[in-house]
Amino acid sequence: MSTTSTTTAEIVARCQALFDDLHFTYAREWKAAVPGRIVVGYMPFYVPRELIHAAGGLPLGVLGGGDQLEVIQGDAYYQSYICRIPRSTIELGLTNRLDFVDVMLFPSICDVIRNLSGMWKIMFPKVKSRYFDVPQNYCDDVGGEFYIHELNELRDLLAEASGRPVSDDALRASIALYNENRALVREVYAFRARQPWQAPSAEVYLLMRAGLIVAVEEHNRMLREYLTAAAAEQRPRRDNSRVVVTGAFCEQPPLNLIKSIELAGCYIVDDDFMLVNRWERSDIPLEGDPITNLAAAYLHNSNHTSAKYEPDPEKKGLYLVEAVKRSRAEGVIFASPSFCDPALLERPMLQRVLAAHDIPFIAFKYAENSGQMQPIREQAGTFADSIKLWSNP
Amino acid sequence: MTLTAGIDVGTSAIKTVICETDGTNTRWLVKRIDRVRQRDPFKLAREAYEAALAEAGLRHGDLDYVATTGEGESLEFHTGHFYSMTTHGRGAIYLDPEARGALDVGALHGRAIRIDSRGKVLGYKMTSQCASGSGQFLENISRYLGIAQDEIGVLSKQGDSPEKVSGICAVLAETDVINMVSRGISAANILRGIHLSMADRLAKLLKTIGSVDGVVLMTGGLAHDEGLLAAMQEAMQQEKVRWPVRNHPDSIYAGAFGAALWGAFRHEKLAREEALAEAA
Repeated sequence: MSTTSTTTAEIVARCQALFDDLHFTYAREWKAAVPGRIVVGYMPFYVPRELIHAAGGLPLGVLGGGDQLEVIQGDAYYQSYICRIPRSTIELGLTNRLDFVDVMLFPSICDVIRNLSGMWKIMFPKVKSRYFDVPQNYCDDVGGEFYIHELNELRDLLAEASGRPVSDDALRASIALYNENRALVREVYAFRARQPWQAPSAEVYLLMRAGLIVAVEEHNRMLREYLTAAAAEQRPRRDNSRVVVTGAFCEQPPLNLIKSIELAGCYIVDDDFMLVNRWERSDIPLEGDPITNLAAAYLHNSNHTSAKYEPDPEKKGLYLVEAVKRSRAEGVIFASPSFCDPALLERPMLQRVLAAHDIPFIAFKYAENSGQMQPIREQAGTFADSIKLWSNP
Repeated sequence: MTLTAGIDVGTSAIKTVICETDGTNTRWLVKRIDRVRQRDPFKLAREAYEAALAEAGLRHGDLDYVATTGEGESLEFHTGHFYSMTTHGRGAIYLDPEARGALDVGALHGRAIRIDSRGKVLGYKMTSQCASGSGQFLENISRYLGIAQDEIGVLSKQGDSPEKVSGICAVLAETDVINMVSRGISAANILRGIHLSMADRLAKLLKTIGSVDGVVLMTGGLAHDEGLLAAMQEAMQQEKVRWPVRNHPDSIYAGAFGAALWGAFRHEKLAREEALAEAA
């Protein structure tokens, strides 16, 4: 499937349609188009999508049901103090919306998602489900070896699912495609940080979200087209505050929340939505053993998030300070899902680091189906006012 | 001199002002109020802005900053938007330099705002329940009673035996009013009862924002309601709060004034930042 969109409105409309489609028509059609294709679902925050692509699969980000899915059965599986994404993901499964998915990956983000991997195995025995572990130790001979082993196990699982081995050459080709994808994603983020009025955050969000649904080749085209179209369009520049939004790396906020933050007078110049799109911070080398290269990229060249272990207490939260400096942000908004342990337990430590660097911040919580935006608008708006009026030049 | 506009998009009225200021001296070129009266508030705000420009003999592009407040963040022609507590705080200080608190009573909400001498918001609280005790509610009741809005304050002050209404729920409050009418309670006493109920709620709201070291200036659409002001002064005494509550002839413009003044401030600040960046 290709896109010939040329204006931002057309590109965004396409992304919005993909975002709204909770029956995953694109992925179903992609799979049906060629016999032997597989679809591999994965949850936040990261999986090595190159391996899935090299196995002839379509990586499909499963980020819950958002604010359009009524969760009826999913609620029966969880206590009230558990976040919403596992409930709505189960709802997606039980309502057969994911019945075309061949493999389901549950990355190591928190206990809830880990347990969901076990539940999935019981509930959907025909699906190859795997808890995908990532290293907590960043030495090549310890965490590196462990991770190479994990990647090879995943490689075998994918080969079994697709019925064909994953060759090194195919993996290198996939890494090259994803290198290109990450470079384009970084370019979109850099463009938005330079001229946030030209690339509204809701648009960038939908564009990035499309990257979790469509084939990487198509997403690369979309990103290129968006960069061209967004640069060509002249939009009004507002006197808004520049903020980094953090804490939303797993269960996603409703689109209206992102729009509300911007409407309230904040330009989002960096965020951690869908980190998988830019998990590796620069190109993964194509020379040498591709599995070793993927492992080394995770250990030494990957992004930071609360869900990733930081062994050095001195470095805790500095990535956020760097993000503020890099994007010339004036403050940070902690927007985290209710009951999200990785985000909410880390938040006080991150706030302490920001306070030590005189970076203003606010915090609020949401659920993927939050509907009342007025309090968030007021909070983000008054935060924007305080930055605009009382921060030092 | 900096030329700025402030547009306060409220639920029942659009307040538009244009000023010329050097940060110390301010000259207001235009002040206007346009009642919404079931029209599209955003279309009306644009028309009001156009009319204000024409009245001042200005064109688009002549202004250094167009600031919106209230519900005005969706107006496509604004330079920047400020939130109501920020603008009402600034407007209150401008109108009454002794103000250290602002009580913004509008059509839908009441807001108590604590400010310092620069107009910086130190704390605020907002009524969180329904429209009871709001301008919209009072407007509805006066319409049911067949009383013009500008008569409300005068009549209310004539009430000598008021009965309070529900301060929590507009539906219950309306039922209270219907009962009073059927019992033959005079319009003056009904209005005074409503004012006392509203004042009771607003005085409690004021107490929650902490100690105000100065005057509380009433702002927003109901600030000129002398009946409410009198009830507020009474309620403050009952709550044993000693901060004087008063209004100003331009209280209704506080939000728009604040927006325009903050707009001028931002314009200067951005210019300074740009100069610093160029020098660096």
